[in-house]
Amino acid sequence: MYELLDALINGRLGLGWPGWAVALLGHVAVATLLFLVAPVQMLFFTYYERRAIARMQDRIGPNRVGPEGIWQPIADGVKMFTKEDIVPAAADRYVHLLAPIVVVAPTMFMFAVVPWGPGMVPVDLNVGLLFFFAISSISAVGLMMAGWASNNKFALLGAMRAVAQMVSYEIPAVLSLIAIVMLTGTLSVVQIVAAQGGLVISTADLPGVPDVGLGWFIFTPVGLLACLCFFIAALAEGERTPFDIPEADSEIVAGYMTEYSGMKFGLFYLAQYVLNFLLCAITAVVFCGGWQGPGVGWLAAQGLSPANPDGSWVFNLFAGMLGVFYFLAKTYFFFFVMIWARGAFPRLRVDQLMDFGWKFLIPLTLVNVVSAAVWVGITRWGPEEGLDFTAQWSPLLRWGVAFALTMAINVVAYLTLARLYAAAQAARGRVDLEELVGSVPTSA
Amino acid sequence: MTLVIQLIFGLVAALIIGAAMMVVLVRNVIHAALWLIACFFGVGALYLLLQAEFLAVVQVLIYVGAISILILFAIMLTRQVTGEGVRQLVGGWRLWLTVAISALLFAVVIVPTVASQQWNVPPPLGPEGAPEPLAGPAELGRGFVSEFLLQFEVAGVLLTVALIGAIVVAYEERARRRRVLTLAEEHELRKRAAASDQPAGD
Repeated sequence: MYELLDALINGRLGLGWPGWAVALLGHVAVATLLFLVAPVQMLFFTYYERRAIARMQDRIGPNRVGPEGIWQPIADGVKMFTKEDIVPAAADRYVHLLAPIVVVAPTMFMFAVVPWGPGMVPVDLNVGLLFFFAISSISAVGLMMAGWASNNKFALLGAMRAVAQMVSYEIPAVLSLIAIVMLTGTLSVVQIVAAQGGLVISTADLPGVPDVGLGWFIFTPVGLLACLCFFIAALAEGERTPFDIPEADSEIVAGYMTEYSGMKFGLFYLAQYVLNFLLCAITAVVFCGGWQGPGVGWLAAQGLSPANPDGSWVFNLFAGMLGVFYFLAKTYFFFFVMIWARGAFPRLRVDQLMDFGWKFLIPLTLVNVVSAAVWVGITRWGPEEGLDFTAQWSPLLRWGVAFALTMAINVVAYLTLARLYAAAQAARGRVDLEELVGSVPTSA
Repeated sequence: MTLVIQLIFGLVAALIIGAAMMVVLVRNVIHAALWLIACFFGVGALYLLLQAEFLAVVQVLIYVGAISILILFAIMLTRQVTGEGVRQLVGGWRLWLTVAISALLFAVVIVPTVASQQWNVPPPLGPEGAPEPLAGPAELGRGFVSEFLLQFEVAGVLLTVALIGAIVVAYEERARRRRVLTLAEEHELRKRAAASDQPAGD
């Protein structure tokens, strides 16, 4: 964006602007674009979810406003705007007002590091992945503020549940990402996407493999387990259905948003769907190659770039379009899985949620970190790091051995943990029941 | 460019100092905690201004995402959040004496530091052509496992001890635990009670 604007303003028009003004203009343009894209994604997601869940429940869903009901979200938005803004008399006015802002702002910040296509990233931070999670943890503060300032017991309960859940499930999410960070050796989201070229086998592991943009991490045992764990944790972070305890409408009305009406409620809704979009997007980017797919790499190589000055900008355009198409297709697929889970599973209890996170997901992701280390050791390390015996193996043999070994570690770990966890849960249920029977007087 | 940087620095510094003042000035404890979060943000922005991206992100992750949440949790579980009707410890001339003593103690710390500070130090640069920023995650990681290994391990042991301590403190004997029954459990109990009554009735 910077080079383009610089060429336009200082080159074509000859205005002679200083560098910072051009950079500022470029960032403002990108930020404006993203601010426009985010609500549109949210509008589409509400429609998508309602139609898909209706289909699963043998209904039709909204189909009245526009063709197939596609304008339904806009009608909902208009309705939201016309509603009265109610603030409870005993609420803490300023905190109550600030809370939706503090919840929405971080979700918009998180767009800053998500790559949409080849070269299409707002900011390529060298700690992009960490930035994503650091910023997402801020919205917990907003939830706390909302719950406390409403001066309502349901709101406070919902906020407590939401924050406890977010804090607990951040750990498995980050641990499963650490496995990928170990494989790529970088925290930059752009470089993580770049490392996923190849055909089933990543080009980073086997240099000779044909690069058709399919060397996704999900095709390795480490990446597959990390992806599953991350997605489950993302369901909890985004408060999706098996983990929608914070806003369980049958127990605590609407959780932390109970006392919000009109557009303030709309902002919470916006934040939630944008967060879900971003979590699906980051799943697609980190584990499924983001914009990588057949054809994008070839198109980008034909296009205009510093390395290839006589390319045609048409190829840049097509590479961008195809990249965004792959990225959005993967993101929408993961959101479909979220809807699917909502249609398939009942809500967990709070203690089940905590047990599952702390006693099953975290040990599993820790084992996965170990197998990521094994993978890196076998495929990358040589005599300099003190690993002599892999030196004379061919890259393909190294990849095969790493694949088999990590697969064995992960499968054994999963089976062992699943058995232990099931046994512990069964024992706990039994003890609970015996205790209850013992504690109740027999006359009852 | 430096003017812009100085302008941003001024704004961020004003935010930090203002927020820190508000932390001690507001009566409502929750508001104080929220101002503290604003202060943490300002410090994160300062790190970003110094091009220490990793530290800035970690500042937000740890202080805003974890510590302040813990503070908020702890405060919400206490009473007297609004701070109304709380007696001031000192008043009148004693208050001014307290202010004077605090200012004096602060001056003892700050004056030698400011006086002996060398201003206008050029920012430290890496070796020529080094693409990595100085405070990047890779450099910090290498430092942790080579130069500062002992400190790193000691901190790790300390955190583990704290974790085990927390579990010991929070652990509750199963026999002493009381729980609200779910409907399914109540139903099950009633069924069992009925089943155990049956033989007695016969």
